[in-house]
Amino acid sequence: MVLKQCDPSRTTYDVLREHGVSRRDFVKFCTMMAAAIGLPSTGVAQVVKAMETKPRLPVIWLHGLECTCCSESFIRSSHPIAQDVILNMISLDYDDTLQAAAGHHAEDIRRDIIKKYPGGYVLAVEGNAPTKDGGVYCTIGGETFESILRESAANAKAIIAWGSCASNGCVQAAKPNPTGAVPVHKIITDKPIIRVPGCPPIAEVMTGVLAYILTFDRLPELDRIGRPKMFYEHRLHDKCQRRPFFDAGKFVEEWDDEGARKGWCLYKMGCRGPTTYNSCSNFKWNCGVSWPVGSGHGCIGCSEENYWDNGPLYERLSGVPLPGVESTPQQVGTAVALTVGAAVVAHAGVAAVKLRKPASNNTSVS
Amino acid sequence: MSQVARVYPGEKDQPKKLVYVWQRPVRLFHWATAICISVLFLTGLYIAFPVLTTPGEAWNQFLMARVRQIHFFAAYLWLVAYLLRCVWFFLGNKYARSGMPRPWSSAWWREFFVELFSYAFVRRERSTRLGHNALAGVAYTIFPIGLGLAQILTGFALYSETDPSGLAGRLTGWMIPLLGGSFRAHMWHHLFAWGFLWFVIVHVYIVVFDSIRDRNSLVESMITGYKSLEVDATAVGKRDQEGEH
Repeated sequence: MVLKQCDPSRTTYDVLREHGVSRRDFVKFCTMMAAAIGLPSTGVAQVVKAMETKPRLPVIWLHGLECTCCSESFIRSSHPIAQDVILNMISLDYDDTLQAAAGHHAEDIRRDIIKKYPGGYVLAVEGNAPTKDGGVYCTIGGETFESILRESAANAKAIIAWGSCASNGCVQAAKPNPTGAVPVHKIITDKPIIRVPGCPPIAEVMTGVLAYILTFDRLPELDRIGRPKMFYEHRLHDKCQRRPFFDAGKFVEEWDDEGARKGWCLYKMGCRGPTTYNSCSNFKWNCGVSWPVGSGHGCIGCSEENYWDNGPLYERLSGVPLPGVESTPQQVGTAVALTVGAAVVAHAGVAAVKLRKPASNNTSVS
Repeated sequence: MSQVARVYPGEKDQPKKLVYVWQRPVRLFHWATAICISVLFLTGLYIAFPVLTTPGEAWNQFLMARVRQIHFFAAYLWLVAYLLRCVWFFLGNKYARSGMPRPWSSAWWREFFVELFSYAFVRRERSTRLGHNALAGVAYTIFPIGLGLAQILTGFALYSETDPSGLAGRLTGWMIPLLGGSFRAHMWHHLFAWGFLWFVIVHVYIVVFDSIRDRNSLVESMITGYKSLEVDATAVGKRDQEGEH
C-alpha cells in the first residue's frame, strides 16, 4: 500500500487505473459502495460519475488519545478492493500512524495541506484531546493535541470524529477522567462534525461514510447527535439474530445453560443490544464473519455515550445515574417504598392515639 | 380573612354539607390512572425482570412481546387520560384547578404549613378547602403530574427507539441524548416508576386517614363526586363565597 503524498487533482478513477484496476472491477466496486451507502441501483451511476470526475478528497487524519483500533478496523475493510480504493479515493496526506514521513517533514505536510486547501480538506480525528494541565497528557512534536486539533480544524470543510474517543470520550473520559479528555465536539464548535462512534467503528461503516462524502460532496443525513442515520438509526436489538427469542421470552440465564447452547436472547446476561445504536447486527464484523452477540456474548454498548461508566457489563440494570448512588433503580425503589411504608404505619399508630383524645384537649395556636 | 378557618375535626354532631366536587371527567381520569399505572408498573417490572420461563420452542411463544404490548397499550391509554385531564384543568369546575401551587402567595404558604403541622399532629388547625389543599397540591404536582410527564417523555422516547423517525421519535426522541444515552434513559424510566409506588402508599393512606379524621367521605367522593364536610357551616359558606383557587 503506497501512502505517499498524492496529488489530489487526479480523480479516484485515474489512480485506480494506474494501480491496474480494470473498468469492470471499478464499476463493481461502485455498485458495492452504492449499496453500502443505501442508494438504489439507479444511484450507481452517481457513484461512478463522482469517482471519475471529482478530484480526490484531501484528508488529514489526526491521532489523539486513542488506541488506534479505528485505524486497525479501517484498513481491514471487508472487500479487498475496498481498502485499496478507499485509501486511494481519498488523498490521505497526513496520518501519523500510516505515513512514511516522520518528524518535521510530517508536520510540514499537515501545515501545507491546511494552507493549500483552505475549506477543502476533511479532518478525520481519531482519539480525543486531554484538556487538563494545559493539555500536556497528549503532545505530538512538542505541541499539545488540543492545539493541533484547533489549528487543523480551523480550515477544514468538515470533521469526522472516528470512534468512541472522538465521538463520546470513551474510556479515557471515564470517571474520574484524570486527564480531562473531551470529545471533539466539545472543543470544535463551529464546524460540521460527523460522529462515527464505536470502539472501533465497523470498517464498512467508516468506508461507507467516506464514500458518501466523496460521492455527494456533503455529509450524510445525521441524527440528533450527529451520527450518520444510515448506520446508526437503529439499535442492535432491532435487527438482532436472537430477537425472536427475546419476543418469545426465552433467555440465557447462565453462560453454560441450555439457552446459551441454543442461542437464546442474552438480555438477562446484561446485553446492551437494546440500548446500543450501531450496525453490528447488519454488517457484522471481520468481513461479516460474526459479531459479539452472534458469538454468544452480550453487546457491551461500545458505541454508546458513557458506556464505560454504565457497568457492570454483565448486569442489565446497573446503578442509578446519580452521584454517590451505586444501587440499581429497583434497590432504591424498594428501599424508599419500605421506608415510606414504615412511616405510614408509624403515623397510623400515632394517629390512633392522638385522634382518640377529646378535641378540647388541644387548642389551636393562631 | 385568612384562607384558613379554624376547624377542629372530629367533633361530633356538626351539620353536614354535601358538595359536588369531583366532576365526571376528574373521576374518570382518577380511575383510568389507577388502572393504567398499576398495569404499567407491573408489566414494567416484568419487562425489567422477565422471570417466567416459557415451555416449548420459540416459534409459538410470544410472552415477552405480549407483556411489552400491554405496557405500550396502557401507556397510550394513560397518555390520552393525562392529556384530557390537562384540558379539563381549564374546562372543569373550580375544584378541577384546586391544589395548583401558588408559591408567590403567603396565604398559600400558610395553608401549606397548617396542613403539614396538622398531619404531624403539631396543631389541630386545618384548612377547610374542599378541593386539594396546598400540601396535597404539591404532592399531586410532583407525583402524578410531574413524574407522569417524566414517564411519558422517557417512556415514549424509549418506545420510539424502534422507529426514531416516527412521530413519537420526533416529539420525544430528544430525551435520549439529553439523559446521556439510551441506557441512562432506561435507568431514569425505571427509577421514576418507583416514584408512583411511593406516591400510592402515601396517597391511599392519607385518603383513608382523612376520611376517618374529617369524616368527609373522601373515599366515596371519588366514585360519587360528592364530598361531605362536617365542619363549621359558616366557615364553609364563607370559603365557598370567596371561591377556591
